[in-house]
Formats: sequence, structure tokens, C-alpha cells
Amino acid sequence: MARLLDFDLGTPQASGAPVTLTVDGRSVTVPAGTSILRAAAEAGTQIPKLCATDSLEAFGSCRLCLVEIDGRAGTPASCTTPVAEGMAVRTQTPKLAKLRRGVMELYISDHPLDCLTCAANGDCELQDMAGAVGLREVRYGYEGENHLGLPCDESNPYFTFDPAKCIVCSRCVRACDEVQGTLALSVEDRGFDSKIAAGQGELFLSSECVSCGACVQACPTAALTEKAVIEIGQPERAEVTTCAYCGVGCTFKAEMRGEELVRMVPWKDGKANHGHSCVKGRFAWGYATHRERILEPMIRASIAEPWRTVSWDEAIAYAASEFARIEAAHGPYALGGITSSRCTNEETYLVQKMIRARFGVNNVDTCARVCHSPTGYGLKTAFGTSAGTQDFDSVEHADVILVIGANPTDGHPVFASRMKRRLRKGAKLIVIDPRRIDLVRTPHVEAAHHLALRPGANVAVLTALAHVIVAEGLVDTAFVRERCDPEDFAAWAEHVARPEHSPEATEATTGVPASTVRAAARLYATGGNAAIYYGLGVTEHSQGSTSVMAIANLAMATGNVGRPGVGVNPLRGQNNVQGACDMGSFPHELAGYRHVSDDATRALFEAAWGASLDPEPGLRIPNMLDAAVAGRFKGLYVQGEDILQSDPNTRHVAAGLAAMECVIVHDLFLNETANYAHVFLPGSTFLEKNGTFTNAERRIQRVRKVMSPRNGLEDWEITQKLSNALGYPMAYDHPSQIMDEIARLTPTFAGVSYDLLEREGSVQWPCNDAAPTGTPVMHLERFVRGAGKFVLTDYVPTDEKVGPRFPLLLTTGRILSQYNVGAQTRRTDNVLWHEEDVLEIHPQDAEDRGVREGDWVRLASRAGDTTLRARITDRVAPGVVYTTFHHPGTQANVVTTDYSDWATNCPEYKVTAVQVAPSNGPSDWQARYEAMSERSRRIVAPESQAEPAE
Amino acid sequence: MTRVFVPKDSAALAVGAEAVARAFAASGCEVVRTGSRGLFWLEPLVEVETPQGRRAFGPAAPADVSAILAGDSPLALGDIEAHPWLAGQTRLTFARCGVVDPLAPPAFEALARARDLGADGVIAAIQASGLRGRGGAGFPVGVKWKTVRDAPGALKYLVCNADEGDSGTFADRMLMEGNPFLLIEGMAIAALAVGAARGFIYSRSEYPHANATMAAALAVARAQGLIPGFDLQLRIGAGAYVCGEETALLESLEGKRGQVRPKPPLPAHSGLFGRPTAINNVLSLAAVPWIILNGGQAYDALGHGRSRGTKPIQLAGNVKRPGLYETPFGLTLRQIVEEIGGGTASGRPVRAVQCGGPLGAYFPPALFDTPYDYEAFAAQGGLIGHGGIVVFDDTVDMAAQARFALEFCGIESCGKCTPCRLGSKRGVETIDRITAGIDAEANLALVEDLCETLKFGSLCALGGFTPYPVMSAIRHFPDDFARAPARAAAE
Amino acid sequence: MTRPDRLIYMANQIAAFFAAQPGDAAIGVAGHLKSFWDPHMRAEILAWRAAGGEGLSPVALEAVARLEAAAPAR
Repeated sequence: MARLLDFDLGTPQASGAPVTLTVDGRSVTVPAGTSILRAAAEAGTQIPKLCATDSLEAFGSCRLCLVEIDGRAGTPASCTTPVAEGMAVRTQTPKLAKLRRGVMELYISDHPLDCLTCAANGDCELQDMAGAVGLREVRYGYEGENHLGLPCDESNPYFTFDPAKCIVCSRCVRACDEVQGTLALSVEDRGFDSKIAAGQGELFLSSECVSCGACVQACPTAALTEKAVIEIGQPERAEVTTCAYCGVGCTFKAEMRGEELVRMVPWKDGKANHGHSCVKGRFAWGYATHRERILEPMIRASIAEPWRTVSWDEAIAYAASEFARIEAAHGPYALGGITSSRCTNEETYLVQKMIRARFGVNNVDTCARVCHSPTGYGLKTAFGTSAGTQDFDSVEHADVILVIGANPTDGHPVFASRMKRRLRKGAKLIVIDPRRIDLVRTPHVEAAHHLALRPGANVAVLTALAHVIVAEGLVDTAFVRERCDPEDFAAWAEHVARPEHSPEATEATTGVPASTVRAAARLYATGGNAAIYYGLGVTEHSQGSTSVMAIANLAMATGNVGRPGVGVNPLRGQNNVQGACDMGSFPHELAGYRHVSDDATRALFEAAWGASLDPEPGLRIPNMLDAAVAGRFKGLYVQGEDILQSDPNTRHVAAGLAAMECVIVHDLFLNETANYAHVFLPGSTFLEKNGTFTNAERRIQRVRKVMSPRNGLEDWEITQKLSNALGYPMAYDHPSQIMDEIARLTPTFAGVSYDLLEREGSVQWPCNDAAPTGTPVMHLERFVRGAGKFVLTDYVPTDEKVGPRFPLLLTTGRILSQYNVGAQTRRTDNVLWHEEDVLEIHPQDAEDRGVREGDWVRLASRAGDTTLRARITDRVAPGVVYTTFHHPGTQANVVTTDYSDWATNCPEYKVTAVQVAPSNGPSDWQARYEAMSERSRRIVAPESQAEPAE
Repeated sequence: MTRVFVPKDSAALAVGAEAVARAFAASGCEVVRTGSRGLFWLEPLVEVETPQGRRAFGPAAPADVSAILAGDSPLALGDIEAHPWLAGQTRLTFARCGVVDPLAPPAFEALARARDLGADGVIAAIQASGLRGRGGAGFPVGVKWKTVRDAPGALKYLVCNADEGDSGTFADRMLMEGNPFLLIEGMAIAALAVGAARGFIYSRSEYPHANATMAAALAVARAQGLIPGFDLQLRIGAGAYVCGEETALLESLEGKRGQVRPKPPLPAHSGLFGRPTAINNVLSLAAVPWIILNGGQAYDALGHGRSRGTKPIQLAGNVKRPGLYETPFGLTLRQIVEEIGGGTASGRPVRAVQCGGPLGAYFPPALFDTPYDYEAFAAQGGLIGHGGIVVFDDTVDMAAQARFALEFCGIESCGKCTPCRLGSKRGVETIDRITAGIDAEANLALVEDLCETLKFGSLCALGGFTPYPVMSAIRHFPDDFARAPARAAAE
Repeated sequence: MTRPDRLIYMANQIAAFFAAQPGDAAIGVAGHLKSFWDPHMRAEILAWRAAGGEGLSPVALEAVARLEAAAPAR
């Protein structure tokens, strides 16, 4: 159980040399640069304050924290006055008491007196301070001019702004500036008329506010309040847990009243987010109680039939009998399972264990197949570990930040805010992206170089950067000599130095001016600590793995590995992509990235699991679908993933699913894949179960059950039931026992336990005897594989080429308010920001086609076609169009192809040759699919309920 | 062709100098536009060049032009420099103001001398001169410059505070309109001393003529390469009094809302864009060239107590002879108001003078023997400030003046700190209750408490100094706050 | 037999990568197929080579030749 109210030290931590002072006669030693306010708090003295909070720089506006300092005139504010050696501070004198009461008297003369009916009653700093300073009367009366009649802004779906309750402390404005970096809020007008304004005096919803909640979090009164608090009341207890959205892995306090979630508050001690949040994690949790959530198991013999609601026992027995039947008829290789990056480590581990141990096959895969599998392959090849090298805090030490194929402000907003903070402090930014992402130019941040390359040209650009580094003598030769394989390096250096790799030679291919490539390479190589952050714009290409290795080459050649501030940092899309991979979800390897063909590893698992394991790799997701279409693959257990909507070439996926005899979907909602399923096992949300997630920085964090599962069972229990029914016994009482088993079997997890996580809050693997509290930065002294490996990265153009029929290149991505296939976020008020997927198209391409803003357009590729609305913008270059894949109505993946990464089969989502034309309605596919979907989602009520009431 | 000097100063333009200049031109004269000599009751004050020297006439109207040129105008003032009002002054900073063409660049001898002295020599001279900040705070200029010079970092800035917002003050404006090159030269010397390669003059939108003259002078300086190695730019504020407060000025200069920053850090350590910054008033910087040419000791030889050198006093309000009077510190208030100012323009008795702008204290005649000196004024709860002195006759309602001070604070408050943001409004309301006779005694006590909260609780001098006019009015003119109760008692 | 277009395409893609690396490309390709392809996929590509291997690049052909033919029958 976590503290409901956080202890606030008033101002941020300082880092200077120790300084000793006295506060009310009590001696305290703090770092130089600490405020008197914080020093007093550390000495146990609470100086009254309102505008100060330790997540923001001191501001000095409320004038409550005044103190007296011996030998100094006046009554300085303790929040803005730094400590000094030998300073004697007095925090309680008659003069100060009178001044503080004088200030409070002014505050209350302009504040509604509705404490008893106020949503913040019990959680209001103004109320607390009135008590603390002993305010007993307001001699000004309440008849004077005031702000009590100002209208309340209710536009944001999640919080209200009531200016009548605002004390103009600017904490919201400063949170928006300092913490979030959006600078959407400001103080409008001046003096008595000062008021908080969103954008240019707009409503919160229509302003540039991104609804991260930092302002609500910072507000000391009820001026900014979660609507849920207004509706439900103040929470009574809190549990710390981990967000189930992106790979940043923010920790939150889930604040509860009974079994009802009141709000999610970012946890100040969270090591990934340090008290910050985004609109998804902070507010978009309403899907957990959405009316479309399925709470009872369902089965059907064929997808032409409606669903039939059954008991857990019946559903599990039916699923097990179907799998047994398929096994008997077609052999075990006709069966497989897919784990989810959205589920916990323990759940993921159980799914792959069940498939491998019960059926003796390795037909397990995970949705990381379609996002970061090239990261696993590439980084393991180069460095020896399938993971990012740094922790998030490392960005604080970066001087140059290179972002390639990632859109952090939308995809990883909380980390993007940290990145922007560092950039505002002067770090330089290089963006390599076909699209002008927000980071290229955002308030007080502007990229030094934006390499707006043609989609698909990553390897050419990365190799050209390497060319400049080698040709201009910018290699960190000492690092390379000490840390890397010399033969590989020599071959690589000779290779990239060839004239055909120069920026000038590749300019026609990449579309990036050679001078820009050269300038970016020089900055990266010589600008101090340089860190690379990348996302799916790198991996989701036919050369995804090659790009990852090209990135690793750059980092090694410039010595940017093995210390804070540098490194190669994959930004993981989903909450547990790293964990799902770690847990042995891939068909070729067991937990800890050990190949199934390794006899010793297999022997270890065979002994622990009491089963014999297949030494041969199993099928990957696309191979499973291919095999299904070919008639060899018949039964699939899909946990927490919607492959129909998220995987490429939807028609092919649909054909594969339709060819199977038993598809078990284990999920929260009747997702698109469930349209092809025979068994539906209702899942539990992250609020309803125990477990762990591992974020993009290898940080293992607890997921805590804050309410009982509405579907009756935690997901790991469901898998366990299925396994037992299938005849492979499992008898875990708690996920901690699963983690104990993982730790026993996996060297990099050897030290991990729920007890350790309880003590440390979180831990980054490797965590073992050598690193008992984990490893924030990897490859410090040497690479895990020994010597760093340089790999040659020749640019091989994708076969997905534009031509007369399909002259434009489509690339895809996501936006801030939505998450992945949108199953969760579409079932929250986040749809207010993004009701539908739209197609971004350059004005020139739009004009050529007679397309106007908001028009319906048909987007067609050789794989299929769909319709959606056009948004005309020069964010995309001429010849490039862009869309998101959050809405099943659009089915953007109908258009994407089955080209994929050469090494991992990660789909080439980012490059599809398309044509765009005006349209007047849904495509044939959309119409057919809509009808099919509606049919497939029918549910017949159980007979007992269907009987007429007597 | 007769050469005639007609001021283009705002104070002269306001009383018709433009028409006078046109009339002289129409009469075939060569008209030279100058700044003002600062004798405002004689504006438009024109001077005609004669073999015997310049001969002054004023206040001149277009109809007077022919008589002036004919030599038989009753407005004749003779050699204006012999006029007792000018002859009594010690004009160091304003020596050339009103005399020369503002856009004719001088030789910059002081800058040349400063280059010989080097940064340390310049700072030593300024420290020896005893020059204190003329904006109001009176902080020693040499100490500030040395702090900036010694601050770590290669990039430093120099900022001139020309946001002259005090009511009844006009010295910065007059100087920028009458002798802009003096400010430019002073800034070039200051930049050399502190190690700044870039400087900004932060002026105000209410000064269109000063800004035009300043911009033109900067263009000349740039075109002629007068200040090599020093990039000096003019920036115009948008009409906030509080931007005259140095940290709010820096915020505004950075393009942000003009809001006061807490100190520390001092601007000398972390000022414009977080860099060490020397920020000085126009008059402080304009005093520098004289000091460099004549030596610190010569400047220090003038003055009174710890207030050294000269102060350009600005006389305004209900006064017979308003204008700019530069003199060493030390005259009594009585000498300034009665001898120099000649008493009220209305002819009625002087009841109060407000010194140091809208946030300065009101002095009753009983305190008129106070010498004009930072410390002596402070001892009486008063301010020298920027040197403004506003005179009131016996018709003034001091309760209304106290109310005005709070109202002004409310209008001009940046809104950052609570005492100033809310206290100013509550103060006005409370004084209204007092003057309406509602619980006068309790409400006077409340105003006194409020003034204490403002004085000790405010973030900057705007809220911190508002109690000066309010409390001085209450203390020295209590009857004005008791009128309503007295009326109520009489009825 | 049906031409396994997708497997041929994948094998050629892998071959293109290893062909650019120093050393024996066919060894690299064969190792990759062994590590990542399920035995049935390997059996299919082996069978296709046995039938002439049309469409496979020279490096891919060489690599498939080196794959152990002893894939378990499934």
C-alpha cells in the first residue's frame, strides 16, 4: 500500500558540496544550491508554502515561505533563497506569523468558501495552509472584487478548470513548461486580473494542451481537478503499479475508493517517469469498465455461428478438447501460441512454457515479431545483448541526441518530455525521419538537422553517416582499439569509406542533401556525449535488422557506448515488448535469449519443466499464417494481441485465421481477431492482476492488483487452467512463484524476486550476483559478447517500389492519444482527440489528385485498399503519405504488404507503394468486413437468462 | 541664412514646437532641431544664432517668428546659459542636451580614453567616482560592473534600462532625444568594462520620439563604425510599468511575459538568457563618459554624504518652473521646490511633494529641510528614486492620493506575487471604506497591516514600495482620512 | 510441387545480406536458416533445390546445399 499523500520538500534536489546551517536552531547539512525551504523540510520543519513543489523550480510568488536570516535584512522567501554555510534561519517569529496570516487573508478574500462541498476537500493545500498559519478572520470581507464568477472550463474530458478556485500560483503553467515542455499554459492579463489561460485564451481541449495531467497534478487547490474525483470523491487508498501502455513504463499510484479506481497519479519515485505522465496512462483507463468488455467465456463451433456464453470450466474444457483433437489429427506442429507484449512477464512466460512443454513444439511467437524483433537480432549481433544500452536518466547527460524512425512526443510522450527538457538545456538534436515530427520544431526546441529521407532509405543514410565519420577521421580510435573486433572494424571502415557510400553518391537515393548528412555526422561524432534513440521507423523495414546494426556501428565507431549520456536506445512500442522477448517468446529461443538448439539450456528447462523440448526453431507469426493457408497449421492460442488489425496484409491474416480449426482468443474485448475465433477467454486488465512489466530500459517493475478481476480470474490463472486441462499441470499460487522460476532458469534474471522489487521499487536486468541491484547502463567495461562487432551494412532497396500504378510511398505511425490498435484508447474519451485515422498528404500531391482537406480518399496498394479522410499538410514530403492504424474501420493494414525484414520477418509497415484518389465511400473490403464483423460478434444469451420471467 | 535652433524634444513638441520650426523654415531660416534645455515653462524655447552668440526666445509661437527674427520680440531671454535657472546647475550629463544636433556624432573621446585605461582602469575610475545607480536603487555601479566582469563565462550582456515609467520623470527621454550618442558612448565603455559584446537598450513604446532618435543614432553609429566590436540594439517594451524592474525587464527582453524574477540569482551572475548581465539606468550609463574624461575623483568631489556626483532632478506637477535641473546632491527639498521650482503654478501654498515616482513618499512642508541625498531621504521614509519630484498645492486630497498609489500598484502589478496582486485591490477597497466613514479606525489598522504585508512580503519594489506613498499620506495628512467620519459626526 | 515463392524470396533476402559480409556467405546463410527457420520451412526449401532450385540466388542455392538434409520429417 502506498502513501496517499506524497511528502513534498518544496524545491528540487541540488547536487553541490555539503553546506551546514541551522534552522530554528537545529543543524542540518544539505548540498549547496538547496533552498532554505527544502533544507528546513529535510530538518523536519514544514515552512508554509503554496507555489513551491519539489517537482518544479522555485518561483517565489506565494510569499508564504518567508523566513528571517540572522544578519540579513528583510524576510526573504525560503524557496528562492539558497542555503549558505553557517546561516542561521528562523522560520517562526511573530513578524513572520503576521506576514503569513496577512498573505493568507488576501488569498481567502478571493476564494469561494465552499470547502465542505469542494472536490478537493481533504486534499487542498490552500485549506492546509490556512490552518497552518492560523488564519482566523478575513478583515477585508468577501464583498470586494473577486474571481468567483468566472466560468468553469469543462472542455477536457478528464479534468475541469475552475478559475474561481485558482490562486494563480503558476504551478500549472510551470508544470506545462518545465515537466511536460508543451508550454500550452500561460498567465493572461496582469495584476488582479491575472488568470491562467490555455493556448491563446482558448478552452483546454481546443488549445495545444496534450492533456498529460501535469498541471492537474501540480494544482494545490480544486482549480484543476480530475472529473473522476468530482464524481466519486477523494480516494481512500493507493497502490503503486505500472502503466500498461507504451514502453516507457511509467509507474502510477492507482488511487482507489473501495473497488472503484478514482484516479491514476504518476508516482514521484517512479524511476522511469519521475512523477510525470501522459494522457493515456494518466486518464485513459476507462476501458477497464467499458460496456463492451467481455466478462464471461464464450465458445462456438464455427465462426459462422453466434457466440455462446459458457462457464469457465466449459470454455476451458472445450478449448482443451479442440487442441487435443487437432493434435491427434494433425500432430503437435499444427498448434501454436502467441504471447503479448501487453501482458505481464509471468503471463507471457506461462504461455510459451505451456506450448513448448505440453506439445513439445516451439511454435510460439510474440507481437514483438512485428515491431522490435530486428532490435533483438541486431543488438545481439553487435553487442551481445538484445536490449537497449542505457537507462532513461542517461538522456540527462547527452549532448547530442539523434532520433531516427521514432516520434517520441506521440509514441513515448513521457520520455519525450525528458528529452525536450535536455534539449532546452542546450543538447543538440538530429532527427532522421521522412516526416516532420513534432520534435523537429517544438517550443524552445529545434532540430539542428532534420534528415527527411525517403521511406526505406535508412541503411543508405546510416552508412553515409558512417562514411563521413571514417572519411573525415572522426572515429574514436582508442575506443575501437580497446573495445571492438579489429578485423571487423577494418573491413567495415574500408567498406564505408568507399565513394559509393558518400552522402553525395547516395543523395539521389536518400533524398537528403549531402551537406546535411555531413553536418549531422560531424555533430554526432564530435558534439560530446551522443545518444541514439530509435523506434519502429528503423525496424519495420525489409532491412530493419541491418539498420539496427548500422546504428550500433555508428555508436561504436564514435565511442558512444558504455557510459551515461550515450548508447543505442530502442524506444519500445508496447509496455512489455522487452519483457515478452526476455521471457522466451520467440520460437527460436528460451528465456534469456538462449537458442533452443543449445543442449545445456534445453536440459536445464527440461529438468525444471519435466518435459522434453524440441531442439528446432518453431514457426514465427507470419510463418504460422502461411502454414495455416497451406493447411498445416490448425490451432492457435492468442493472448492479448489483435493480429488481424495489427499485422500486415490483413487479407492474408484473415485467410490464415479462417483456415484454422480452433482459434482461442484471450482478450478484454471482442477484437478483430476474435471475429475468426472459436473460443473467447475474457482477460483481466492490468488493474486486476499481479505481475511485472519490463520497460524499454530493461527495468522490471511491479504490476499490482488494485481491484479484483471483473472477469473472475487473473490472466496467468486462465493460462494455468488451460494448461491443466490440456494435461500439463501447473500449480502456481501467485505470479511471484513464476518469477522465482524465471530467475532460477535465467542468468540475467537470477537476482530478481518480488521481494527485491518491493525493496528497490524496480530493477534493471541483468540482475544477478554480479549486479545485485541491476544494471542501469550496459557494456561499461566490455561488450557482453566480448569485442563489439562491426557489421557491413549494404543498402538493398526494398522491392516495394513506386511505379505508375502506385506512385506514392505510404508510411505509418501512431499519435499521442491512441495506442496501437486502439482497443483500449478507442474505448475512452481519448477519441475526442482522434476520432478516425486520416491520411496525411502533401498539398502538391493533393492538388494533383483533386483532393481537398477532409475529403474521403481511396488508399490503394497491390495488397488491398481502404478509404479514409485526407489531411493536407507539408509535414510529409511530396511523394509520401502517412496514416495511423488505430481504428479498425480504416484497417490501414489492408494496404500494407507482406514484405518483411530479411532476418526476422518483421513486416515492412513503413514502406508501401500506394495510390490515392478521391472516393465517395468505404471500399468493398471495408463493406464486406463490416458486415462479417457484425455477424461474427453476435452473442446469444445463455438459456437460463433467455427464459421469460414468471 | 539665419540659423535657428528649435527643440524637437517631446516636451517642446507638446506645446507646438513643430509649427514654430515650420514657421522659421518658411521665413527662410536654416532650422537646426535640438533636444530641450529643460526649462519647460519656456518651451518652445528657440535660439537664434547671432554674431554675439545664441540668443533665446520663449515660449515661442509661430506668430512670434517675425518679431524674433526682427530682433524686437518681447520673448527675448538673451544668452540662455546665463539664465539663473541654467547657470545654477552643474550640467555634466546634460551639458550638450538642447545645445547640439542629436544626430551629429561627437568624437567619442571618452571611449578612446577608456580603451587606453582598459577594463580594470575603467572600473577603478567608476569605483573612485562613487557613482551609484541612477535608476533608483542607488547600488554602486563600479561594484556591479566588477561582479559581471568577474563572473565566469565568455558570453555576457549589457542592458540599459530606458523604461522610464515613473510619473513626473523625463530625464531618460530627454537625454535619448537630446544627446543619444552620450548613452551610446557610455554603453560602449560599460561593455568594455564588463566584457560584453552585445548590448540592449530597453525603451518604452510611450516614447516614440526618443525611440526614433535613438534608433537613428544607432544607425549612424553602426554605419560609421563608432563602436566596433559592440553590437548595440534598441528594444521597445509594450507598456508595462513593471518592466522597469530589472528582472521583469530581462524577462521581457527574452520575449517572455514581463514578470519579476526572484533574486538571487542576481542579474550580474545570471541575467539575460541566464548569462552574467550588467543592467544600468540611462543616467548611470550617460554619467560614465564625463567620469572617464575627468577622472573619478572629479566626480566624487561633488555631492553630499554618500551620494556623490550630480543628479538630474525632474520637477513636475503643480510647479511654477518645471523642468530638468542637474545639480550635485545636497540641496534641501525646500531649495528645490521653492527656489528652483518657484512654488506652485497655481500660486497656492505647497501642501505636499512626492519624491521618487508614484511609489515614493509624500513629504509635507515640515520635512522640506531634508537634504537631497539617498540616506537622508531614506531616514525620513522617502526615496530619491529616479529623481522625480511632483508638487501638489493645498487642494490635494491625500486620501485620494493614497488610494491612487494602491490603484496604480494594482494596474501595474505583474500579478506574480500575492501581496501585490491581491493586496493592491483590497487596499483600494479598504481606503474607499475609510473615506466612506465605515469602521475608519479598524480599516486604517487594516491598511497599515496590508502595507506591512506589501512591504515585507512582495517579490519586488512595486509592491514593496507602494506602502511609502500610502503610509506617508496617512502619517503626515491624517485629517484627509478622517473627513467622512467628521462629516458623519457633524450631521 | 508448388513453388514456395515466399521462402525463395526470404532465402534470397538473407543471402543478399550475407553476400555483402566478409567471409563465406553460404555458411552465414545456412546458419541463419538453421537458427531461425522451422524444420518444415527448411525441408520445403531443400525440396525446391532438389527440384532445381529455380529462383534461388547463387548464394542461397549454395547455402541450402549446405543445410543438413536431416530435417525431421513432419
